[in-house]
Amino acid sequence: MSRKATWVIGTASILLLLALYTRLSIHQHMINPTDTTIPTWMQMSEGISKIFAAQPRTGDRWIVEDVLATLSRLGFGLGIGVFIAFALGMSMGVWRWMEAFFLPILSLFAKIPPTAMMAVFFTLFGTELKMYGAIIAFGVIPTLAQTIYLGLKDIAEERIDKARTLGASTTEIIFCIMFPQILPKLLDAIRLQIGPAMVFLIAAEVLVGDVGFGYRIRLQSRLLNMNVVYPYLAYLALFGFGMDMGMRWIQCKLCPWYAKGGVS
Amino acid sequence: MDSMQALPLVRKGGCLVKPILTVSNASFQVRKQHILHGVDFTIGRGQIVGVLGASGCGKTSLLNLIAGITRSTSGIVSVNYDGQETEIVGPGPDRGIVYQAYGLYPFLTSVENVAFGLKLHLTTIPRRMWGQVTGFWRRLRREHLKHAEELLVRFGLGDAVHKYPHELSGGMRQRVAIAQALIMKPQILLLDEPFGALDEATREDLQRMLLVLYEENIQAVGQGKPAPHTILLVTHAISEAIFVGDRVMGLSRHWNWEEQGFSSCPGATVVYDKVAPVFNSTDSVDFEKFFGQKNEIAQLVFDEKVRVRPQDHCTFWSQVRVNHGHGVTHDV
Ligand SMILES: Nc1ncnc2c1ncn2[C@@H]1O[C@H](COP(=O)(O)OP(=O)(O)OP(=O)(O)O)[C@@H](O)[C@H]1O
Ligand SMILES: [Mg+2]
Repeated sequence: MSRKATWVIGTASILLLLALYTRLSIHQHMINPTDTTIPTWMQMSEGISKIFAAQPRTGDRWIVEDVLATLSRLGFGLGIGVFIAFALGMSMGVWRWMEAFFLPILSLFAKIPPTAMMAVFFTLFGTELKMYGAIIAFGVIPTLAQTIYLGLKDIAEERIDKARTLGASTTEIIFCIMFPQILPKLLDAIRLQIGPAMVFLIAAEVLVGDVGFGYRIRLQSRLLNMNVVYPYLAYLALFGFGMDMGMRWIQCKLCPWYAKGGVS
Repeated sequence: MDSMQALPLVRKGGCLVKPILTVSNASFQVRKQHILHGVDFTIGRGQIVGVLGASGCGKTSLLNLIAGITRSTSGIVSVNYDGQETEIVGPGPDRGIVYQAYGLYPFLTSVENVAFGLKLHLTTIPRRMWGQVTGFWRRLRREHLKHAEELLVRFGLGDAVHKYPHELSGGMRQRVAIAQALIMKPQILLLDEPFGALDEATREDLQRMLLVLYEENIQAVGQGKPAPHTILLVTHAISEAIFVGDRVMGLSRHWNWEEQGFSSCPGATVVYDKVAPVFNSTDSVDFEKFFGQKNEIAQLVFDEKVRVRPQDHCTFWSQVRVNHGHGVTHDV
């Protein structure tokens, strides 16, 4: 199929979705003119302006507050998650005793659903930033660490031996051979873990948040203000797209060989 | 056995052949598995030695011992570059190695791959980081890359300089891998079935490339200088060993260990070690010329039913002493 055809069909599917929604909301409003569960486009634009408007008392805007809160929590959680997973995965891949020590712990923790662990983190860390960070980190560490560690185990022994005949020290083997070799896989894994990280974060915000996307969605849906909830969901989807593309771009920049089809 | 003679090895006419690598009575076992037993030979500077053996007989293990990647269970592997005999205790840039696969780093372009050894051997991470600040590393790096590019061009890889390994053909990849090893100016180059995965024509191209290196050796010896390239070429193709090598060695588990009082095979040993005809890089491959030797090797090294007496067929240095053969160990 040509590129153009793909584009046309892709656009058509989105337009069809919007048309169906329009049809549905018109139908619903014929039955009940005051309905807010399937808002008309008119109501929707009111909701969006509410999202962007300055609040009368505080002067804050929902969207600014929520984006800042959710993004900083996500960034913080992913940051410590990736950092710990990296340290853990690398040392497990390099040293046998680290592998023997951490593998059982990691496999055990990987089996606990992070959403179930929330209760523990609420009691340990309250409702502050570090609680969100801990939940996200806990959720992403097992997968990320295992990706790194298995990637290291996959490196052909010849590559390491060869480097030693070229005069590489152990540090150089870790940072000049093992690290670049697994970097694209690590970036892929991080990209795929952003989804789960968002799940844990939104869930925590829904439960105990006082600001943020999860909090806003829960509050507004209780008030049946779906004209606020739907745009928020759309922003989340757009954000997901953006992150995905951003991570792919970073991978292209950092590992051009991998993007060109090289295999590690 | 043959290498036990007094060193240095004397060539007819009074010239000296300097021994560069000595494996004396080396055995190797992994987890109770007996792999090599009593491996014993001396290689002179500037030789290309074809090493033959059935699959799994321990050829790679032998190269790993010489590379210093593994240590022998007993016996000594030593090198002698400047009159000083030194035991091998680990890998080093004086002994380069090229494998059949996985030789190149996929995340580096050809030129970066070739320059990799210079970077790893000549600098350290802290020095490079500090060098980033002072600009020293950028200048040195540019020199390294220039040097690597020159070598690639010399090997006919001018178009491949900035390509990644997966963008190269198998033959180009092996050329880059050989350049990667040679840039370190290794005293000894270990090649482990480097052309095993290539088609016939490419294979011959690369074999001729090795013969060019041998011609450089002969030239150097003729001028009274030390020969620059000493090569061990592990292969399972008999004709390749004879064509490229000036000497062929065969490893086999099928020797007369029963007569020596062993109840099971104590490991493979060198059962064949003889002079091979020397070819120029431009000579056509003359199969007639090594037909007899090929049959002899097929029988002694690859036949599982024979029980070879190693001392009968490890006669390389005695052949040299009676001036049998050509090349760096002979009058040029
Ligand atoms: N690290 C190891 N652990 C266990 N067994 C090993 C190890 N290294 C080598 N071996 C065994 O030693 C024997 C010789 O292996 P080696 O790779 O040296 O043979 P080879 O002659 O190079 O074979 P090929 O022609 O297939 O490359 C094999 O039977 C192999 O199974
Ligand atoms: Mg092998």
